Amino acid sequence: MDSNKKYWKGLEELQQTPAFVESSKGEFAEPIPVEDVLNEAGLSTKTPRRDFLKALGFGLGAVTLAACNRTPVHKAVPYVIKPEEVTPGIPNFYASSFNGQSVLVRTREGRPISISPNPNAVGVTQGTDATTVASVLDLYDMSKLQNPQLGGKDVEWSKLDATVIDALTKAASAGKQIAIVSSTVNSPSTLAAIAKLTAKYPTTTHVQVDAVSYSGIIEANRASFGKAVVPSYHFNNANVVVSVAADFLGTWLAGEEHTQDYIKNRDYKSLKNGKMSRHIQFESGLSMTGSNADVRIAIKPSEEGAVLISLYNAITGQSLPGGVSNKKAQTAITLAAKELTNNRGGAVVVAGSNDVNVQLLVNAINSALGAYGAIIDLDNFSKQYQGSDAAFQQFLADAAAGQVGVAFFLNSNPVYDYFKPADVTNALSKVAFTLSFADRPDETASTLKAIAPASTFLESWGDASSKEGYFTIVQPTINPVFNTRQAEQSLLIWSGDNTNIYEFVKQNWETNILAGTGKTWKDVLQTGFVYKGSATGSSYSANVDVNAVASAIATAARAIAGEVELKLYESTVMRDGRYANNAYLQELPDPITKVTWDNYAAINPKFAEELGIGEKGRIKVEANGYAVELPVVLQPGQALGTVSIAVGYGRTKVGKAGNNVGQNAYPFARLVNGTIQFASKASVSKAGGSYELAQTQTHHTIEGRNIIRETTFAKYLKDPNSESGRFSDSHKTYDLWNKFESPGHKWVMAIDLNACTGCGSCIVACNVENNIPVVGRDEVRRRREMHWLRIDRYYTLDAGDTKLTKEKEIAKATDLDYEDVTVVHQPMLCQHCDHAPCETVCPVLATVHSSEGLNHMAYNRCFGTRYCANNCPYKVRRFNWFNYWNDSRFDNYLNNEFTQLVLNPDVTTRSRGVMEKCSMCIQRIQGGKLKAKMENRKLRDGDVKVACQEACSANAIIFGDINDPESEVSKALRNERVYYVLEEINVQPNIGYMTKVRNTFEA
Amino acid sequence: MRNISSVLGRLAKTMSVGLMLLFAVTMAHAQDVKEGETLFKSKCTTCHGVTKKVVGPALAGMSERHSEEWLVKWIHNSQAMVAAGDPAAVQIFEEYNKMVMTSFTDLSEDQIKSIIAYVKAEETKAAEAPAGGGAEGGAGAKSGDASTMMIVGLIAIVVLAVVVIVVLNRVIRTLEKVIANNQAAIAEAQARNEQFEESKFAKFAKAFVKNKKLVGFAVLMLVAFLAVLGWNTMWNVGVHQGYQPVQPIKFSHQIHAGVNQIECQYCHGGAFKSKNASIPSANVCMNCHNTVTASDHYDGEISPEIAKIYRAVDYNPETREYGDNPKPIEWVRIHNLPDFAYFNHSQHVVVAGVECQTCHGPVETMEEVYQYSPLTMKWCVDCHRTTAVNADNAYYDQLIEAHEKLKKGEKMTAAMIGGLECGKCHY
Repeated sequence: MDSNKKYWKGLEELQQTPAFVESSKGEFAEPIPVEDVLNEAGLSTKTPRRDFLKALGFGLGAVTLAACNRTPVHKAVPYVIKPEEVTPGIPNFYASSFNGQSVLVRTREGRPISISPNPNAVGVTQGTDATTVASVLDLYDMSKLQNPQLGGKDVEWSKLDATVIDALTKAASAGKQIAIVSSTVNSPSTLAAIAKLTAKYPTTTHVQVDAVSYSGIIEANRASFGKAVVPSYHFNNANVVVSVAADFLGTWLAGEEHTQDYIKNRDYKSLKNGKMSRHIQFESGLSMTGSNADVRIAIKPSEEGAVLISLYNAITGQSLPGGVSNKKAQTAITLAAKELTNNRGGAVVVAGSNDVNVQLLVNAINSALGAYGAIIDLDNFSKQYQGSDAAFQQFLADAAAGQVGVAFFLNSNPVYDYFKPADVTNALSKVAFTLSFADRPDETASTLKAIAPASTFLESWGDASSKEGYFTIVQPTINPVFNTRQAEQSLLIWSGDNTNIYEFVKQNWETNILAGTGKTWKDVLQTGFVYKGSATGSSYSANVDVNAVASAIATAARAIAGEVELKLYESTVMRDGRYANNAYLQELPDPITKVTWDNYAAINPKFAEELGIGEKGRIKVEANGYAVELPVVLQPGQALGTVSIAVGYGRTKVGKAGNNVGQNAYPFARLVNGTIQFASKASVSKAGGSYELAQTQTHHTIEGRNIIRETTFAKYLKDPNSESGRFSDSHKTYDLWNKFESPGHKWVMAIDLNACTGCGSCIVACNVENNIPVVGRDEVRRRREMHWLRIDRYYTLDAGDTKLTKEKEIAKATDLDYEDVTVVHQPMLCQHCDHAPCETVCPVLATVHSSEGLNHMAYNRCFGTRYCANNCPYKVRRFNWFNYWNDSRFDNYLNNEFTQLVLNPDVTTRSRGVMEKCSMCIQRIQGGKLKAKMENRKLRDGDVKVACQEACSANAIIFGDINDPESEVSKALRNERVYYVLEEINVQPNIGYMTKVRNTFEA
Repeated sequence: MRNISSVLGRLAKTMSVGLMLLFAVTMAHAQDVKEGETLFKSKCTTCHGVTKKVVGPALAGMSERHSEEWLVKWIHNSQAMVAAGDPAAVQIFEEYNKMVMTSFTDLSEDQIKSIIAYVKAEETKAAEAPAGGGAEGGAGAKSGDASTMMIVGLIAIVVLAVVVIVVLNRVIRTLEKVIANNQAAIAEAQARNEQFEESKFAKFAKAFVKNKKLVGFAVLMLVAFLAVLGWNTMWNVGVHQGYQPVQPIKFSHQIHAGVNQIECQYCHGGAFKSKNASIPSANVCMNCHNTVTASDHYDGEISPEIAKIYRAVDYNPETREYGDNPKPIEWVRIHNLPDFAYFNHSQHVVVAGVECQTCHGPVETMEEVYQYSPLTMKWCVDCHRTTAVNADNAYYDQLIEAHEKLKKGEKMTAAMIGGLECGKCHY
């Protein structure tokens, strides 16, 4: 079947702008000057014969001379005393955790090379997001401090210790406060170390503050239930989810955990059982969560409260004043309320706002819906965000008043991420001794008196408790690379306790955590976690004065309502800016805009037209006495009259990769009723100049072919085959080639478009596993990004009542507001076609087919004609224009011997002039097979897991052997929803996609 | 040079040993000492030296410390004496960390006495050696003689060279005089010679040049020869078959794997588990070499090669303690595969059951290891084409079943199951 929907990757494609049409013709961004060279004029003028011969002669001579050196002598240096657990060539895995996510760290010959989710962490499902997978690179970051510093000069630890202890003693004897300012600390041993310091110096206070604050929820829960906590959410128990500006699949609280739970009601297994949840999203900027919603309504930030008031009214039948006036939203709310009330006990409303009143109203709604217990768990609450904006205000006031004698900063960088950096620096100038545990002289640390660089989590002993009752271990996988010391050890030493940190963590576990679990310290080191929480939370009901809340909400909304409203958000890629120096993350395209290496002002295309700004335009955004000029992104789905800007960019002192990338948006934030809020009134104006963002959205485009298949849940229930449109069902095919036999294994993949949220952790996992180089902003602009796996994001227009789906209708429609778009994410990688078009055009047989159904790429055979890339219908082949990993022009991160230790030793680093593409992690396939052979058994399903599959929390990527009828992938591919992209050209791809199913209202 | 000096050194050593023996004969019965030497070397050297403490005490002076009767009893069964509470026995037992000395009940009293006699002879020799005038050129000067020889040799060569130059100068001057005197005669002789040459060689050359076919053929042959030479050279670029670099330690596989029959796996365990065969870490060497010092070949000194291991692990053989300043041994890698080729030892050794020698050659006979196989892709592929897959491995069941259906009777080679595909080795 031919889908009647028109899918497009960017506005330029939708509108078929001349520049887009021109650029989409060629495989590569810059044309190759073949014509110039070949026509006669070219030969006589541009490259005359004599010059050519000179160059040839020189080249030949140079090559001959270069070839004259002797074969280098390679040294083989074995261990002096080999550690018992190390066998060179075989990886070791250590259970550890990152930000509370239980992970496995893979090390080779003692150096960590990748991080994957802990597959045994049953019960507490937490995957790995892009930042976790990329964090292994931070260990090898050359921008880190190599020694402790006092006054900007390297010193010995002993000197620093003496200075600190002296300062602490002085402060304590003067009765002044000793403040430890940190982001949320949920690690039991860190807290124990802080307690040690408090015991020694009783004036110690611990202030927790998060760059992206959740104080609003904490305060609301304190008021409603007397529990000042952030609850955990179990979306797997929710049939209906309404989210008001909460990016809960991405950045809101525990995105990965939410994704796993949420997808359980939407993936192919759930659909097979005829079950799918409904998700309604109200938001201003198009977030990743919004892109996955079944129904999405664009609203202004000032309408968030109003939407909730209307929703409350519709659910409870009350009539609070201040409901929403937006027509589209009203309709959606009526329908949503019906859904919610029909699913009492199985419905939940979440809101992203940090306003206490908004969260109080949400509590009232959820209480009315009976969501507390199964869905919202206040007993096994989340401990990931405990920061208190009020506490930090208090600290600033105390410091400014000269009551603070010593201030320590632990994982906290307020000079960068507090909205009034001047207040912080002024306050700190009144503090006698200031110190940061930052691993680099960042914005805050560089203004302080001392830096006691902490080791990374891969070099430290420690633990975390991201949830009540859930404890994960952090164990070192390598000795500290630089002269660093973990913060906990420093705190212990300063409190006069010389216990080794290993002993300290171990004792703390044995006495406080393991007691009563029947588990020993060694068990924990093996499994990586302990879960002591109860199965489900108990029910709570909120007691909220809704009238007072509603009027407070209305007042707050009036303060931000305006012609133009600004909304700050945390981007899925850069988060709060902590990992800004991670080149893998900088080059990971944003899930929606596909922008790399920058932040930007996202505005609606129609709004841009009104402002007179086009693509590559720049605007000046002013709000709260702060202004920045930013390039714009014309973002379909963005509410009219709103601007969205991501925080986490514009860092100045983070390192080579992250310095001066984008603009800092934190100063736009406001402090309202004691909490930091990210929405405000703003004014925008056109700024001069133009700026080209490094955006991958229309790179490697598939020429608008029919490659996305989408249906609705209602249609699916009637006919599971609906819209999958399998070409082979209706057409007879003829082959030019012989059929490929795969008598052993045949490796295939199934991708569930309904499960893929577009988060991109698979891309980073692929980069890390396969040594894929980061190329930098300029090269991305030239369409030269090297990602083997990309996630294509397609828009369709979906204009409420009048369905604007057909191409002709779109062309006729004149006044589009671009607010109503729906999005499909499609991971695209080498399809390992049985009749691969790339193979037939390679003149040197560098890419050939294997008997296991893989399309092999022999780098050492390739000499770079790039015919294969031209002939690939999926545009998944990548060309090495440079020696990216060893060329000073691309000095993002990898051009030093130290950082190169992160490379996977099982995969070749490709050199200039060579084509590369997804190998289906052939090194893992070969490894898995070898393991089976060594154990004298057949290969079992699940023995081989490819990197992208492992990183995917949503289980959207399923890989395996189709010759094994019982394998998960075989079962998945027998699903009715499966279709093959571009099946009609009969290249016989080996990756099946499952149709996107949307649970819309209309059906 | 080194060879000559070592030969001289040995000679001197033999002489000195001879002298010592002669001297020793006067002290004890020759028969006893000789028998004692054989017994000492076969039974005692693992743990004892004459003048050096090894595992057990140095034996020199034991006759003074203990009576012969006591010694015989001790050697027969030391533990019995300790158990009986003999004070001297207990003291030694305590001193050496309660290490139990092997009981030699099979040795007769006479044999033990022979050993004691031998030790006595040796200790006297050792005591004499530094002062002994006769042995001066022997063991004592052993380390010095190499450099002396070198210096003397060098001086000799310089003197010889000067003499040769002087003599040659003389000859040249004389010849010049002769030439000056006989210019005319020479010219005449030359003319005569040329005529003679012309008549023979030139004629042949002219005929050769005139015959175009012959010239063409010769040129063709030359071109063909150069082409073949070039072709072969090009194909052998990067092929290092026979590569035998000098290693930091003169390790002999012939002694370890050949004579002593140590399994390959003992040191290269990685070959059975991993892609790397792995060179053993120095602690593996120390498993044996903390007792095996080969000092009997080096005049009681620790073998200089084994001493290198001690330096690597920072081990002091006197105190038997390890320091904390180890230095890894930097071996020179012999088998170098390019980075883009993936090779896994365990796949070949464990799964396919290939003998180490198939690729590495008769290592057990190699004094120094060299690259036996060419390690070219052709060499890999040839083997994959002819080698049958190990059908006993359950992993291959499915493939063998599929294969049976297609080609009955033929063996299933690695090539048939994809052993020649690019991606199996290049990724």
